[in-house]
Amino acid sequence: MQLSRKIRFRPPRLRLVSRHWLGLALLLALTLAFIFPILWMLSTSFQAGEKMFQLTTEWIPSEWHPENYPNALSRAAFAQYFLNSGIVSVAVMVGNIVFGTLAGYGLAKFRFPGDRFVLLAILSTLMLPLEVTLVPTFLVVHHFGWLNTYQGIIGPLLIDAFGIFLMRQSILSIPSDYIEAARMDGAGELRILWQIIVPQCLPALAVLAIFSFRDSWDQFLWPLTIVSVDRMRTYPLGLVQFGEDYGNPPTEQMAIAVLATIPVFLLFWLLQRGVNRGFGLSGLK
Amino acid sequence: MTRTSTIGGPPLSSVAAARTARPFWRLHYSRRIQLVGVAFVLPTILFFVVFKYGPMVWAVELSFTSYDMVSTPRWTALENYRSLAVDPVFRESLWVTAVYIAGSTILITLVGLGLALAVNTAVPGARYCMGAMFLTNLMPVIAVCLVWRFLLHPYGLVNQLLAPLGVGRVDWLTDSRTAMPAIIVVTVWRFAPYFMMVFLAGLLAIPKDYYEAAHMDGAHALHRFRHITLPLLMPIIFFVIVVSALLSARIFLMPYIITGGGPGNATRVLSMLIYETGFSYMKMGRAAAISVVLFAIMMVFTFLQMRIFMKREQF
Repeated sequence: MQLSRKIRFRPPRLRLVSRHWLGLALLLALTLAFIFPILWMLSTSFQAGEKMFQLTTEWIPSEWHPENYPNALSRAAFAQYFLNSGIVSVAVMVGNIVFGTLAGYGLAKFRFPGDRFVLLAILSTLMLPLEVTLVPTFLVVHHFGWLNTYQGIIGPLLIDAFGIFLMRQSILSIPSDYIEAARMDGAGELRILWQIIVPQCLPALAVLAIFSFRDSWDQFLWPLTIVSVDRMRTYPLGLVQFGEDYGNPPTEQMAIAVLATIPVFLLFWLLQRGVNRGFGLSGLK
Repeated sequence: MTRTSTIGGPPLSSVAAARTARPFWRLHYSRRIQLVGVAFVLPTILFFVVFKYGPMVWAVELSFTSYDMVSTPRWTALENYRSLAVDPVFRESLWVTAVYIAGSTILITLVGLGLALAVNTAVPGARYCMGAMFLTNLMPVIAVCLVWRFLLHPYGLVNQLLAPLGVGRVDWLTDSRTAMPAIIVVTVWRFAPYFMMVFLAGLLAIPKDYYEAAHMDGAHALHRFRHITLPLLMPIIFFVIVVSALLSARIFLMPYIITGGGPGNATRVLSMLIYETGFSYMKMGRAAAISVVLFAIMMVFTFLQMRIFMKREQF
């Protein structure tokens, strides 16, 4: 009797179960608090225009209006804007991957006089974002004759300290013996980089790819500063202009916002495994 | 092929300088490898000279001039700084920026840590919740700004949700008392899930034995947090504070889209003031002087970050 009561009221087990439910409820509430604006964006993009500010929000539209999407796309040159953003973002992503890997490898596995100074000099560019150097960077690009061009938008974004540090931290963990052995076997330096270094830092490269793509896909201030012709606008500029020209048709703006969100989510989904493993590598951002 | 090689670089040392007379392929093996390393880093350094260091030097120079892009820059010495010091708009912007940095940094750190602790439990589905929350960090910022501008509209969802709690209609974005807190909330919403991941990496690195030992000794959850988690996480907390301060010091888009700097100048942060002074009013010299001020703010946090980095690297 005494024994069975003890077993029945074994406290830790009971507490564990109830804590799980409590934890799950809390976690779901937190998650909902964070994703409701995303759900709202998606839902609104299918709503009828006049239902925007009803006193209760219809989370699932009673009438679906998928025509918001083609309507929005046809009101301004959004196909061109998305194409421009895509060209810029892919170029910036490739630039960050190529130069980040080269410089990260150079800083991780080569000792040369002044290497530590170079490392700190690169770190110091964190205090020189475009927002700070906006005026002179504009003048530099103006001197190059690059206003309203792809190279003008891409140029200042092409290399970022974040990528270099991410790659450096990742390459540091590769044993130098591999590199020495390959050198002894007569492999060229670029071949070592391609066949030994790159395959071992795929998680870091995945992280770099997603974040450099996202950052240039998000970039607003720089194109706003140097683009003055409609043909060269990126989609964020187009979206803001669209709001001003058509008096904020919210449902159609949200349709464009949903379309703009898809490429980033898609890239994240494709690279997710790598991102999960590569997180926390950078020690910088 | 080696004959036309142009791999070069700054003179490495006096010894190397003496040897540069010899062709590249006859250099000592270790020197040759050094040069390869330099060659890998060189494009990046050149890039930063053209697009980072050069422009900053130029900004300092411009800040002593009056320049409108049409006539040549006119040297005015400290005139830009003198007029900024007494300009109420600039002074308010400086204050607004300080409030924005402090508010976002504190909340991003607290919320990020809270989320990481909530996700770092044995609850089933925690990983999916983490993934879902992280989506806020991937959504395009422009979409974030537009969505929140609608949500915070007087008839928007936020007021609808607060109505049952007895909160009357709040004009979040046009009331000078709530505009900046609203921008801070959006900033935290955007960035806290990112730092949740950073904290989570730190939490996972704490050895499980510590908690088990503390559990044996009868330490409560709160005690365990206070005496194990918090001290071991301190370096990461410090790191997150510095990085989110650097991040929020330069944010332009959120105030630009959500409130347009208003009401009045209540959300006109320095980065917005730089853009408007330079490209709406064409006062390049004055904009450069504001840039130098923002640079000084960024420099403080960057030096803190360098200290963290050097400690970790044990230079």
